[in-house]
Amino acid sequence: MKKILTTGLIAGCILFAISYGGLYLGIRFFPRLFVEYNNPLFNSDGSRDILFYMHAFIISLALSWFWDRFKVLFKGSFIMRGVEFGLVYSIIALLPVMWISFSSLDITLVMVLSWFLYGLAQAIIAGLVFAKVNP
Amino acid sequence: MQYRNSLFSILLLLTITGFTIENNAKNAGIKRWVVSQNSSLSVNGSTNINKFSCVIPAYDQQDTLIVAANKEDQSVVLTGRIRLSVSSFDCHISAMTRQLRETLKEKQFPALYIRFLSLNRLPVATAMPERITGLVDIEIAGISKRFDVNYRLSGDAQQIIHLQGERIVNFSDFNLVPPTKLGGMIKTKDELNVDFQLNMKALN
Repeated sequence: MKKILTTGLIAGCILFAISYGGLYLGIRFFPRLFVEYNNPLFNSDGSRDILFYMHAFIISLALSWFWDRFKVLFKGSFIMRGVEFGLVYSIIALLPVMWISFSSLDITLVMVLSWFLYGLAQAIIAGLVFAKVNP
Repeated sequence: MQYRNSLFSILLLLTITGFTIENNAKNAGIKRWVVSQNSSLSVNGSTNINKFSCVIPAYDQQDTLIVAANKEDQSVVLTGRIRLSVSSFDCHISAMTRQLRETLKEKQFPALYIRFLSLNRLPVATAMPERITGLVDIEIAGISKRFDVNYRLSGDAQQIIHLQGERIVNFSDFNLVPPTKLGGMIKTKDELNVDFQLNMKALN
């Protein structure tokens, strides 16, 4: 359990820096991709900002538990294991969620694809950390 | 007794007519301007990622502004208001249109108002635009604030008076919070430029 928490927190810190740093750079250099976020669908009064920034740790801890439980199934080098782990998570968890989101919410295809790729990148980075720290 | 009654009647008549003449002298020029339906209003603002321009392209009511000039102090009193439906705003991007309507609390306050109060002088509507200033009350989301507005007023060959007013206001003037998104990474600026173009027909 301690290993799951430690690995999850390490991955959380790395994901926090990469995810929000990447998001900041994305908004700065590709602002047109983010115009659609000026939409009442997205929280606009700042009341949930803390939850937004906790996401990196929530996903890392959840994936850390998942890794610890199923890591024996991922074979090969640490890069192969990390990438495969990210792909498995994306196909099992992300794809159906993105599918239902696009079908039910008034959001664009570009938005959903960017969320999928963002989640895939997060899961691969987390997988690489887990494969290294908790092989 | 009869002499006293006659004197009283004359005094009363003089008093009434005197007041009437006095009032007419003070408010020598009363004009009525009927706001036509091709009048418009735009609200221009920006976020840290884009600029937006939300317009009410066609005014859907027929209101009248009354212009009363006081000859004594050259002041001009304006009476009248225009009512603008928040649902008529179009920001050209549907998501932003919905966002603006929500920010302006459309469900609670479906209309915003511009009440005209005064002009700094009586304008002469000629083809050459004349710069004048005036006071208005702008009411958004139930909060009314008084502003000095810069106008450009002109008239055309069809006797239409064009009154273009411009004023920078802030969301915070009306206790509104400019929206932020994605943990504050996308921020709408507090400042808005309100620009209205009223086309009016003079009634006399």
